[in-house]
Amino acid sequence: MSTKIKPHRVFGLYQDERGRMLCTKSILQGKTHFRERTIRAQKEEYREIDPTRSKLAAAVVKGATNIGIRQGDVVLYLGASHGYTISFVSDMVGKEGLIFGIDPAPRVMRDLVFLAEERKNIIPILADANHPEEYEKRICGADIVYQDIAQRNQAEIFVENCRLFLKKGGYGLLAVKARSIDPKKKSKQIFEEVRKKVEAELTVIDYRILEPLEKDHCMIIVKK
Amino acid sequence: MKYVFLHLLGQVAVDEKMQEIKILKDTKEAQRLIPLPTEKRQAALFLLKDKRYYQELSARNLILTKEAIRNAVNSDALIIQSISTIGELDQICNLLAKRLREWCGLYLPELSEKVTNHERFVELIITKTRVELQKEYAITETMGADLEQHHVQELVLLAKQIQQLYRLRQEQDRYLQKVMQEYCPNLLELAGATIGARLLELGKGLKRLALLPASTIQLLGAEKALFRHIKTGARVPKYGVLFQHPLIQGAAKDLKGKAARQLADKLSLCTRLDYFKGELKAGEYKKELEKRFG
Repeated sequence: MSTKIKPHRVFGLYQDERGRMLCTKSILQGKTHFRERTIRAQKEEYREIDPTRSKLAAAVVKGATNIGIRQGDVVLYLGASHGYTISFVSDMVGKEGLIFGIDPAPRVMRDLVFLAEERKNIIPILADANHPEEYEKRICGADIVYQDIAQRNQAEIFVENCRLFLKKGGYGLLAVKARSIDPKKKSKQIFEEVRKKVEAELTVIDYRILEPLEKDHCMIIVKK
Repeated sequence: MKYVFLHLLGQVAVDEKMQEIKILKDTKEAQRLIPLPTEKRQAALFLLKDKRYYQELSARNLILTKEAIRNAVNSDALIIQSISTIGELDQICNLLAKRLREWCGLYLPELSEKVTNHERFVELIITKTRVELQKEYAITETMGADLEQHHVQELVLLAKQIQQLYRLRQEQDRYLQKVMQEYCPNLLELAGATIGARLLELGKGLKRLALLPASTIQLLGAEKALFRHIKTGARVPKYGVLFQHPLIQGAAKDLKGKAARQLADKLSLCTRLDYFKGELKAGEYKKELEKRFG
């Protein structure tokens, strides 16, 4: 396809001329992992991100301007799952970067290992983000902490991981799933509560509700 | 170099000002250094954030993760696979048996009316000819067309495949019994293979199931109704997968909720006995419950 691709206002992301699709520059040309669409332009290959599948992309579509991820960064990614979002983060940090993908479920870790064997900058770790001592001896300090886990104490887990592993001035991205904190309360109210908990230790720089791309979710971006 | 701490990369030494870092090749050297205090651990991890170590870090973590995935396979995983297979086989068997009945309707429609059991129906199609079937079930006149032999052959072929699937299902049942007899005899005794395995599936393994409160076990499999209750104030569900249990099926209508609660209590005790390798007590519990609700 001969679409023109231009840089997005968010560093590391690209979009087409009409600004309708979001993509990253692939570091592994000719290879897709999730049947995503690819576009060839200016001798480069771009992989499209689906914002209904990735909360990171959803936050960008909803207007987040600074997500902090730069080339060569070390990312601590909690709740890696099958690795859909992580594969795009892997494009964004490039071959020089490093991503620690942490997830407690062996089933999804299997898929992540296959991804990591192709994308050398991903390191899969089978561990529970609730217990940082399980993996603290296996990682190094991080520039970015990204968290997307559906746990009741997701705010506390995020704050604790940022405290332990995030560098000063580093960015943290927290995808909040309101329904796993309390199925009954209004989601806005839960977001406010989470925001307060996070603000006690970190500075919130952006806050986006991901409706309608992701129901009852929001993204909180912080700086340490 | 003053401090030392253990990392995946090996014994790592750090100097006093937390500026230099080195991975020790010699373990003797590590013994001379002081263990790194916890409050300095964080700074040390940032010193490791260096391109020199990335490759090593990646390779070693990958090995560890693969091993962890391998070790995560246990009886829970096998039971969950088996019960899922049984569930899917049931669906497939029903679907194909219905198709066979439709197909057979062209040939001998009266038989479908007379034989309601799918398995029996499949067996009859394979073993007997049309004339024999007509005699056996006293069908004097049939609406079915006189199909040529090669058309009927295909139909019998499908029937044979379905029979194979029924056999596979029975085999899976036996296997499940065997695995659970060893792994969780109490749960098997009180809940039965199907419900016990479904509980393990929904509870994500015996360990977690043993740690769950009995009230949660009572409602496993009724999540949709439970959240509807929490959100809209609809009626509280009484049971999830336990609904299929003979004790609850047999209980009087106004005692069903009570029976479910008490059964869940006893099941919870059973899972704990199984997880912590206790004695066999399920028979006792079963008698007690049967006396009350049977």
